[in-house]
Amino acid sequence: MNFQGCPGSKMMDLRTPQAAAEPVAPGSAPSQLRQWPVQLHLISPLAPYFKGADVVLTADCVAYALGGYHTDHLQDKAIAIACPKLDSNQEVYVDKIRAWFDDANINTLTVMIMEVPCCRGLSALARRAMESATRKVPVKEIIVGINGEIRQSEWLTL
Amino acid sequence: MSTSFEMSLDHPIKDVIAAHPPIGVILGDFQIGCVDCSVGTCLLKDIVDIHHLEPEAERDMMERIARVVEPGRTAPVPLRKRRPFATGQAGTSPPIRKLMTEHRWILRWAALIPHVVERADLATAEGHQLVLNGVEFIRSYADQFHHAKEEDILFGYFSPDMDILKAMRTDHETARGHVRAIVAAVEQRDATAAGKHLLAYADLLRDHIRKEDEILYPWMDRLLLDAQVGQMYAQFAEVDRHFGGLPQQLEQFVAKLETRWGIPPPQDAS
Repeated sequence: MNFQGCPGSKMMDLRTPQAAAEPVAPGSAPSQLRQWPVQLHLISPLAPYFKGADVVLTADCVAYALGGYHTDHLQDKAIAIACPKLDSNQEVYVDKIRAWFDDANINTLTVMIMEVPCCRGLSALARRAMESATRKVPVKEIIVGINGEIRQSEWLTL
Repeated sequence: MSTSFEMSLDHPIKDVIAAHPPIGVILGDFQIGCVDCSVGTCLLKDIVDIHHLEPEAERDMMERIARVVEPGRTAPVPLRKRRPFATGQAGTSPPIRKLMTEHRWILRWAALIPHVVERADLATAEGHQLVLNGVEFIRSYADQFHHAKEEDILFGYFSPDMDILKAMRTDHETARGHVRAIVAAVEQRDATAAGKHLLAYADLLRDHIRKEDEILYPWMDRLLLDAQVGQMYAQFAEVDRHFGGLPQQLEQFVAKLETRWGIPPPQDAS
């Protein structure tokens, strides 16, 4: 069946056993992305790559600030991205994150945000979802500085 | 022991300190308490790795140790390669936090033990039962419930050949020996022997938990991958489900005894 909808929303499972093992050519960094789409409004929390996965929920700006994002934080993880300042209808985000906990049975959630105050909203959404979920999993928060350094990394209290 | 500085790194710490007593003092200066360790089988190089001092402090310590082992040494001291941390130094992970919370209850029981020894009269049914209830806490809470997570699950993520894990297991076996001796003494109404092994158990546990909370667990947390943290958390939840309400009942045994005797929990257990 041909996909008829928006190609930006078409679900694609990019996981391959070879992806992480391919040799790195000098001067190139392989993508660690294992899925499409990645935007939180576009993903289904029940997509196969979220089941039992270690998920990283990343604020939009993080991957631009953090040089080693793919190798240090995305490898072997499923991803969704969002902007707590500009995105609309964020109640849907809480429902989707809660579905990761309760329905997709994710293994861990890492929330990566920038140090700017408006970015805390993404952590707040994740906390609301975590508190209302029936199933508990370890949740880590990583705060990235605008200079590209890790400012803080900690496991949250469940 | 006559050897080079490099060779001494591959020797058990007790042997190294026995051959060069000033090294025990040097380690103590960096809050590494190997002199008091009851086992001492860890290799010097592993101890340096596990304690993960700041690079400058580690260089200072290693140079001092090298000067003791090889007086007049001029060659530079080789520093270990630091392993990248899997969790990015994210602090205490939720499963390790669970274990540390359980340690608090075990320490609260250990703090009550001297009062039990002082007050429990094995000649009476009440005193006899009190000690047996304490043994039940040790066996069901510390050894079965807690060690089902720590020994059977957490330690399973690391090589069983690691000397630090062997040292921890040796402590566990020593504790089990004290418990067997306590039970035998209670059956024989031998208050002296029961008291002696109860107090030895409490001393051992305080030292053992300090080593785990301050050294072993932080080191393990630095090495665990996020995926392993999640798996372990789920495995611990399974253990909790298996034991049902029993752990909470045993915690209440300790809390009620504290209340009855007016003894607050010790600071290291709060």
